[in-house]
Amino acid sequence: MANGATVGVIANPASSRDIRRIVARGPATTTNDKINSLARLMEGLAATGVKNVLSMSDAGGIAAGLAGIAAKASAMHWPNLDFVDQKITHSPDDTINAAKAMQDAGVDAIVVLGGDGTNRLLIGSTGSIPVASISTGTNNAYPRRDEPTVVGFAAGLLATGHIDSAACTYRAKTLTINAGDISLPALVDIAVVTGDRIASGAVWDADSLQEVFLCFAEPDAVGLSSIGGRLQPVSRRNPHGLRIRTDATSPRRVTVPIAPGLVRDLGITAVTALPPGETVAINADSGVISVDGERSLRFTADTPVTVTLQHDGPVVLDVPRAMHEAALPTTTTKGEDTHG
Amino acid sequence: MGELDRLAMYQQMVRIRQYESRIMQEYHADKSPAWDIGAGLIPGEMHLAAGQEPAAVGVCAHLKKGDAITAPHRPHHFALAHRVDMNKMTAEIYGRTTGLCKGKGGHMHLFDPENHFSCSGIIAQGLPVACGQAMAFQRKGTDHVAVAVTGEGAANQGAFHESLNLAAVWNLPVIFVIEDNDWAISVPKDASTAGASNADRAAGYGMPGVRVEDNDVEAVYEAAGAAIDRARAGDGPSLIEIHTLRLFGHFEGDAQAYRPELETVNERDPIPQYAAALQELGVLSEDQIASIQADADAEVDAAIEFAKSSPEPAPEDALLHVFA
Repeated sequence: MANGATVGVIANPASSRDIRRIVARGPATTTNDKINSLARLMEGLAATGVKNVLSMSDAGGIAAGLAGIAAKASAMHWPNLDFVDQKITHSPDDTINAAKAMQDAGVDAIVVLGGDGTNRLLIGSTGSIPVASISTGTNNAYPRRDEPTVVGFAAGLLATGHIDSAACTYRAKTLTINAGDISLPALVDIAVVTGDRIASGAVWDADSLQEVFLCFAEPDAVGLSSIGGRLQPVSRRNPHGLRIRTDATSPRRVTVPIAPGLVRDLGITAVTALPPGETVAINADSGVISVDGERSLRFTADTPVTVTLQHDGPVVLDVPRAMHEAALPTTTTKGEDTHG
Repeated sequence: MGELDRLAMYQQMVRIRQYESRIMQEYHADKSPAWDIGAGLIPGEMHLAAGQEPAAVGVCAHLKKGDAITAPHRPHHFALAHRVDMNKMTAEIYGRTTGLCKGKGGHMHLFDPENHFSCSGIIAQGLPVACGQAMAFQRKGTDHVAVAVTGEGAANQGAFHESLNLAAVWNLPVIFVIEDNDWAISVPKDASTAGASNADRAAGYGMPGVRVEDNDVEAVYEAAGAAIDRARAGDGPSLIEIHTLRLFGHFEGDAQAYRPELETVNERDPIPQYAAALQELGVLSEDQIASIQADADAEVDAAIEFAKSSPEPAPEDALLHVFA
């Protein structure tokens, strides 16, 4: 079954450390937890016959930690581990540059360790390469909480050609905010909030919310997309997105986990479908735009701001479907009673 | 955050920068021979905090009279941001009788009981002190907090871990602030620290740990505000690690030959970056930049003049006010 399959690995050393540890009981995922997750991923990749792993380089200790484990006798069966030769900038560019280098290297699949913010950086940088995500961020509506060993199996089975890509991948939706010369994409949500602060990034103040645009809305999500999930669920494969207007005084109420451990009661004034390809203007005159939960852009009445939903995000490897696809031949042909 | 808050933070950063820059000039002006740290009007080693202003200003903006700070051997920015009198502090640095410790402490030993400010040349030893202050605040039933400031290298000291443990066990109103300037003297963090972020270490003690990555005073302000509010409310300790920038050497006279990123430090200077951000917001004008700088120049010049014109301690007073 062996071939020259190569899987790229991207891990964000900065995720899980923002202010939501204090204001919202956000969980901590330590650097050592991340290294451990990658080691589990490597076991899954090794089991499926992946020969090479090309990992992002970082100065946050993850690459160094993974290399340290790979050098041990207990990891001799791992795929050959190489690191992207990249200049470390301590900025989001590190992730983007790593993804582009993996695309240039022709990897068969990419696995990303991070949250919504890390995955968002891959928009436009991974082309048609299937991307599997392992959740280590805070809110994480986009990456599922799959066990890294199993993600390694799924990515490995896909990379080695054991399962059909068409059956277990789909193109993610994106939202793009346009404000003058600035254009920012999102994978989950774009929110319009009051005020002018962008320093600490995260959005956790429910009262500041004015309007939310969603790619998808799952009822079991945490974060801004949970608002839509409670009101009008929209799946990741549904062509439409969702637009929600909020007003603290509205009698229509919804109670949602706006961040881990932070439950808020919101007033809702409108919930409408957001059709793909249609550019819509936001409602507010001034404020701040958050992109996948991170406050990113101030705007004023001088600049028209619009939002567009498109189907042009990364190609997502659906891990449950991939594993189901891989399981079918065994269960249907052998018919063994494993509970006997 | 209002316009006045932002202007005040900018002003405080400029004031601190002017102080550190002028002390650097003064320190070297008469250091002859240059290798003799005992020579000149400012005796002893000198550790300046230029580039680290966002940490001090963003944290201290939330402190009120009666709150406490313990600072490390690089203390000037936190002292000035915490209302320590610039004249008395400068006189102490010059070893004059009008200084905070009557000229017997020097720049690494600034003690100001009035403002609950202290610092120490012994790495990480301010942390247990802050826990003690926090325990006192707690037992007195006040909502005061203690802030323990240390560098990233100090987070490998036993006192750091003992302090986090005790603060968590006793739910103390203390905020541990780590200034990660990438260098413990000449040792890079990855050569000394298991784990890339000391914010991770908070998890081991069951307290929130946050890392502020961008040396951005407003990001520090938000994180520190949340941690300080939490401590005042009785919800216990927090840890904030701030990725900051050491613009100068570890000590004055440090050639920094060990530092490969030295040529990029000026472009990472947080003060011009914040000025540009405030100008873009329409909060700060060119005229205000000039007048804020002029005010800082005048205040610092006056403090240095005050120190230089103050008397030196008399030899017969050498054993007064010291433990022996």
